[in-house]
Parts: sequence; structure tokens; C-alpha cells
Amino acid sequence: MNQIPISGLFLGGLTSYAAAGLFGLSAHRYRRATRIVFCAFTCLGALLEGIASLAALLNASATLISIPSGIPFLQYTFRLDPVSSYFNLAFAVVSLAVSVYSLGYLDGFDVRKPLGIFCFFYSLLLVSLTAVFTANNAFLFLIAWEVMAVSAYFLVCFDHERDENKSAGNLFFVMSHVGTGALMAGFLLLGTWAGSLDFSAFHLAGAALTPIRQGSLFLLFFFGFGVKAGMIPVHIWLPAAHPAAPGNVSALMSAILIKTGIYGIIRISFDFLGLPPLWCGLLVLAAGTASAILGVLYALIEPDLKRMLAYSTIENAGIILMALGGSMVFRSYGRPALAAVALVACLFHIFNHAVFKSLLFLSAGAVVHATGSRNLERMGGLIRPMPLTALCFLVGAIAISGLPPLNGFVSEWLTYQALLGGFGSTLSLTRIVFPVAGSLLALTGALAAACFVRAFGIGFLALPRSPQAGHAHEAHPAMLAGMGMLALLCIGLGLGATVCLPILDPLTNQLLGVGMSGNLVVHGGLALSPGSPTGGTVAPAGIAGALILLALVPWALCAIWWRRGRKIPGPAWDCGLPGLTEYNEFTATAFSKPLRMIFAALYQPRREIQTEFEVSAYYPTSVRFESEVAPAFETHFYSPLVERIMARASRFRTIQAGGIHAYLAYIFITLVVLLVFGVRS
Amino acid sequence: MYFIYDPQFGNTMITLMAALVLVLQIATVGQRGLITTIRMFALQSFFLASIACTIAFFNQAGHLYIAALLTLVLKAMVLPYLLERTVDRVGIRKEIEPLINVPLSLLISGCLTLVGYVVAESFYHPEETSARSALGHNTLAVAISLFLIGFFIMLNRRKALTQVLGLLSMENGLFLAAISLTYGMPLVVELGVFFDVIVAVMVLGILAYRIGETFDSMDVGKLRSLRG
Repeated sequence: MNQIPISGLFLGGLTSYAAAGLFGLSAHRYRRATRIVFCAFTCLGALLEGIASLAALLNASATLISIPSGIPFLQYTFRLDPVSSYFNLAFAVVSLAVSVYSLGYLDGFDVRKPLGIFCFFYSLLLVSLTAVFTANNAFLFLIAWEVMAVSAYFLVCFDHERDENKSAGNLFFVMSHVGTGALMAGFLLLGTWAGSLDFSAFHLAGAALTPIRQGSLFLLFFFGFGVKAGMIPVHIWLPAAHPAAPGNVSALMSAILIKTGIYGIIRISFDFLGLPPLWCGLLVLAAGTASAILGVLYALIEPDLKRMLAYSTIENAGIILMALGGSMVFRSYGRPALAAVALVACLFHIFNHAVFKSLLFLSAGAVVHATGSRNLERMGGLIRPMPLTALCFLVGAIAISGLPPLNGFVSEWLTYQALLGGFGSTLSLTRIVFPVAGSLLALTGALAAACFVRAFGIGFLALPRSPQAGHAHEAHPAMLAGMGMLALLCIGLGLGATVCLPILDPLTNQLLGVGMSGNLVVHGGLALSPGSPTGGTVAPAGIAGALILLALVPWALCAIWWRRGRKIPGPAWDCGLPGLTEYNEFTATAFSKPLRMIFAALYQPRREIQTEFEVSAYYPTSVRFESEVAPAFETHFYSPLVERIMARASRFRTIQAGGIHAYLAYIFITLVVLLVFGVRS
Repeated sequence: MYFIYDPQFGNTMITLMAALVLVLQIATVGQRGLITTIRMFALQSFFLASIACTIAFFNQAGHLYIAALLTLVLKAMVLPYLLERTVDRVGIRKEIEPLINVPLSLLISGCLTLVGYVVAESFYHPEETSARSALGHNTLAVAISLFLIGFFIMLNRRKALTQVLGLLSMENGLFLAAISLTYGMPLVVELGVFFDVIVAVMVLGILAYRIGETFDSMDVGKLRSLRG
């Protein structure tokens, strides 16, 4: 593999991403040509990055790429070690599909919208994401991190005519900055203790620190990265910002942008800190469990399709964090093999979630484009006008619900196995954690399935619930091609899991010093096993085969027995009363009603019914029904916090005189005092 | 003609020009006419470019020539032109009434120069000094004084345009400090700073024009009414 010029390909990919943005700026003149050139360049960039990352990953050694900047303390150093390459590979795959999709999606943009600006920030986002995953220097990392936040902010606010999008963007920006503040403090502390700002120098730098320093570093980084990862309780930007962005951007954000947080947590806890204390792993596990269960509960009652997907992203980030936390705990207990299983589950779920979540967001983008609404209650019956989009959404929905034989199943199954393995192999109190986390994960999986049955059933089946849904049209071929790629990947990663998992060996080798694929893949590459005698064994391809057989047998029986039978086509589900309309349909709100009642303590639903009548209440002239679920974190935690901060801040109002001269005087006096007293000593 | 290769001669020339730069800066504090202030800034920038050239000549620092050329073109020609055009457009040429009266301002400027020399003293290590590195030692004190007085100008004046000039002369001070200490920053940084200065002047020029239009005066004190 040494013949592949990894650094050349990598830089070529970056250049290609950047070129796309610069070409994109000419869009106000040549709209059509720009769109094609832009998408071609982003596709090329994604291809080059993908090849470079895959080659670096198979190489299993770190590739250093360095560009001198001429500025002291800053070197543009990129490092493609297995972890970086893996994340970059996942990103390249998603960005390739999204770029193909964008060729069609951008065609449907309103002509008055500034396409050039969009292209510019979109490619800036691609460049900065690549840099975040591969930066080898804390400075470069933070610069890339901030560029990523800023470009994502502009993309979220792209539809700035709507106030809710602007406030979503601001919320994202504020949360992102709070997180970045923690990261900066963390990197500066780590840099001071390690004596350098290079990631290579950070390697195991934390191992020599006292547990208190280690713990405080971990908390800073965990908070900073957790904000981006969409971890509860710092998730509030996510359900606001992801739906506000255009379809292709929300796919990128949900699939990849939140993974930058996960990437950071992995880097910190496995690479920089050496062996963090046990409570760190338990904290990650707890935060992951809370995110998974609460994320899916909120997804379940959300009528907005894209917000629902955003909540489901929180849920999946939670599952990833659960596996990661499990791995950290096992590592603290000196069980590298079990830690490797959990880490493999975490890493594989990262890739899988990137694939199916982008697929779902892309299909949601197509649906929103076709119907003009994000509200599930205004969709319905979309499977007839847009069958291929519906098929893609269905594949994504099956994958995300963790149903065999698709990819989501494999990684969630591995997570279960790792958590169950934890029960038998850890000590006293901590062992209780694992069955609790495992059962909550099981509940999460079931609720996620319910959530996507609801999304698909209400959105795509039955009769159209609005005229717009009735007049929907199939998506642009390029959009279908992008979604199709991801759907095939979902199936491929599921059926071929045994082939894909050995690719993760370099990562577990780098982070834990153990290669796991030999234990995980058993029976000649046909089945998966967690590598312990008590765990189960599963063969995704075998399940697929069984499912196909199960489908074939009834079909064949029908074909044989009913060949000469009489067929009478008629409308389904009308119970013999023809003339059903969309008003007879089950709504999304009704679907989630039982769960809203079970979890009423969490949702605190409020509903209001107003009936107007003339003669008697049994003959109402009109009924108004309003139902609302309290956003618990916003009302109970963030609003009081913001109020308290504002109250404190207003005390400092007096020094804000408003005059430029006063401000200048503040700066001037500070400067002179510092010069006289600071420099002399 | 061989005397021009003598570092001692170079040192004298640099000290002389640095002194001129400082004198021009202090004169700006007492100056009232807008156009004259702008021209004095241009002259100061010219001397600054000359200092950069001299240092480049005696230290064979090739990239300093570029910085000198940029200073000459941008700060001695383009920026004064832009500023004078703003003055023409706003149509305000009248005297500037500073917050602190002129004699006191001059006294404060003198004190700031003193502060500059005191601060620069701590950077001066005679035991390390060779003839060549001594070249710029006096200029550091001038640079710090320039910076402080520039700041004081910003603080003392009411007109947005004079504040821009104060900012620019502060930038001159930074540039002088950079070339006297390290024979200039890396060229990338230098270019970045020049770019920043142009953008700043353009933005501030527009701002000054808008303030002038909105409030019929360039007094930044009127911005106080914008406070929420």
C-alpha cells in the first residue's frame, strides 16, 4: 500500500473542497454551471479524501502532512493515524453521497436565494471538518473547530427570513462557544503540562498527571466536546439547529458534525489522558444512557419530521457514548479484550449512524422539498408519488431502529453484548450499572422502532393529509442517486459486517493495543461473536437469508394455491364503509398518545379543549384542541440560568458608559499600568 | 562615499529619523486642522519607511524592503488620499476641540514618552549588545511612546477621523517596534497587518462619513445615544 501517495491525495482533496467554494461564489451569474462544477468538485474532494483515508487506515501507521505557515507556534500539521483516518473516511463517504444529492437539491433552491454564499460556506464546512478530524496541533484544531462552527452557523441561518431559524442559529452559536471556551482552557492546560501543543506530544501526556488534574482536564474536554456531540443536558441547540438548515446541510451536521465531539472524547480519553480514572468512564456511560433514552422519548412525540430526526441523533449519540463509556470502564478494570469489543461497537455505530442518519435527513429533505412542510401531520400517502424516496427512508428507518439484517443492528447488538459482558466481569457496585444501562438501551431500541414506524407510517402511508402532500413529486434523479448510495451502504454494512469489522483492528490496536477481529468474526467469517463464551453469536447474512426465505415461502404457497382463485380488488381498511377521507386517519399525535401518557411525568403535557356550541354541548359548532409538551430542559434548567446570568450582568451595566472615549480610557489605563508594572519585573 | 556603509552612520540616521517620527507624533497632539494632521501622518509614515529601508540595508533583511515599500505606498500615499477624500465628502474641516486642552495634552505626551523610555529600558541588555543589534535599540523606546501617544490621541479627540489617525499612528508604533526588535515580523504577518489597516480605514472612513451624515458632526460622543 506504500505506493499510494496519501499526503498528495489528502491535500488534493482539501484543495478540491476549497476550489468548490471559490467556484461556487460565481453562482449569481452562472447558476446552473456553478451548481454542476461545485458538486463535481465536492465529489472529487470526497473521493480523494476517502481514498487517502482508506489507504492510511489499511496502512495502519500514522502519516504526517505538514505545511509551514510562517507564523510562530502554528504549523499546519495534519496526521492521518488510524483514528483520524477512520473518522475522515466516514466523513468522506457521507460527503460524497451528500454532494451527489446536492446536485439535484440545489436545483430546487429558490432563485432569489444566494446560491454562491451557500456554496462557499458549505465547502468551508467540508474543509474545516476534514481539518478537525486530522489536525495534529491544538492551535490548528481550535481554528478548524471555530471555522466549522461559524460556517455551520451561516448555513443554519441560511433561510434567515424565518425568525426561528435565526434564533436557532444564535442558540447553536452560543452553545458552541461555551463548549469551545472549555476546550480552549483544556488545551492550554494540557499544552502547559505537556510542554507542546502538538497532538503527538499530547500522546499519553495525561498519564503522568495527578488524578485531580486528570479529572479536571477530562471534565473540561468532556463538556466542550459533549456540547458538539449533542449529549444531554447540553443538547438544546441540536433540535433547533438541525431542522433549520437546508436538507443536505442538516444531513452533514447530524451525521458528521456531532461526530467531531465523539472524536474529541475518544482522542482525549484514550490517546491524551492515558488511563483516566474510573469515574470518567461511568460518567460517559451515564451521560450516554440519559441521552439515548431521553433523546428517543422526545423524538417519539415530535410532529416535525426533521426535529424528530434531530432528537433521534441525540439518541444515537447516546448509544455511541454508552459503548464508549463501557469501553473506558473495562479499560480501568484492566479488561482490554472487553474494552475492545465495546470500542468496536462504538466505532462501528459511529460509521453506521453517519450513513443512516444522513440517508434519513436526505430523504426528509426530499420530502420537505416536495411537500413544503416539515410537519408529519401534513404529509401522508407519499409512497405513491415518491416511491423511491419512500424506499430509501424505509431502509434508513429499519437501519436506525436496529432491526436485522441492516447495519444498525450489528453495532447495537455489539453494544448489548459488551454491556452484558460487563456484568460478569466487573466488581461490586459498578456491575449494577451494566444491566441497568443494557435494559435502558433495550428500551431505547424498542422506542426508536416505534418512533420510526410512526414516521414512516404517518408520513408515507395512507391518504395524503394535505393538498401539498397529494401533489408531491418524486425527487430529482441526482438526489435519488445520493440517497441510493447510502441505502446500499446500509445494506452492505449490515450484511458484510464480518468483512468490515477487521478494518477497525488498527484503531483498537492504536487505542488499546488489542486486535479484536479475530475474536469477533467467527465461523469462517460468517458470524459475529463478542469473543466470550457467555455471549451470543449472530450472522447478519444468515438472518437476511432467513428473512428472504420467510418471504419466499408464503409467496410461493400463494402462487401455488391461489393461482385459479378469484381476486376482487377493493379499498383497504374501510370496514365496509367506503368513502374514507384523510380526516379518518390516525394522526402522528394520536400514535404517540399512549407513550405520552406513560411518560407523563417527563413530558408534562398540557392540553386545552375549547368547545363552542349553541344548543347543547353534544352538538358543538366548533372544537379547538391544543396540546403541548413542556421542553423540560429549557424551562427547568436553561431559563433560570439565563435569567440569573442576565441579573448578574445588569450590575456591570454602569461601566458600559456607551461613549467611545470611556472605553478607550479603560484600555489605555490598563495598558499603561501593565507596561509599567508588568514589564519592569 | 564609503561612510554610508558604516553602521555607526546608520545608527545615527535611524535615531534621527525616529526622533522626527516622535516629534511629528507629538505635533499631531497639538495640531487642530484635519488636513494638516493627515499630511503629518503621511510624513511620519514616510520616515518610518525610511527607517525600515535603513535597517534592511544594514542587516541584509531582504523582506524588510517589501514592508518598507508597502508602508510608503499604503500609509504615505493611499491612506492619506482616502482620508482626505472622506474629509472632502463630509465637508468638515474646522478645528477640533480636544477633551483636554493643548498644553496639558503636550505635557501628558511628554510623560508618555518617558513611560516609553522606562519600559524600553528593561529590554536593553548592554552585555549582549553588538554594534549591529544596537542599531534599533533607541527606536524601541520611540516605538512604545508612539504607540502610547497614538492611543492618547484616540482618547483625547472627538472626531471619528482623528481617532482613525490615532489608530494608524499606533499601528506605526507597532511596526517600528517590530522592525527595531526583530527586523520585522514574518512577511505573512506583515502583509496581514497591512491588509487589516486598509480594511480598517475603509470601514472607519465609511463610519465617519455616516456619523457625519447622521449627526451632522463627526463627534463620536454622539454615539452615546445608541446605548440600549
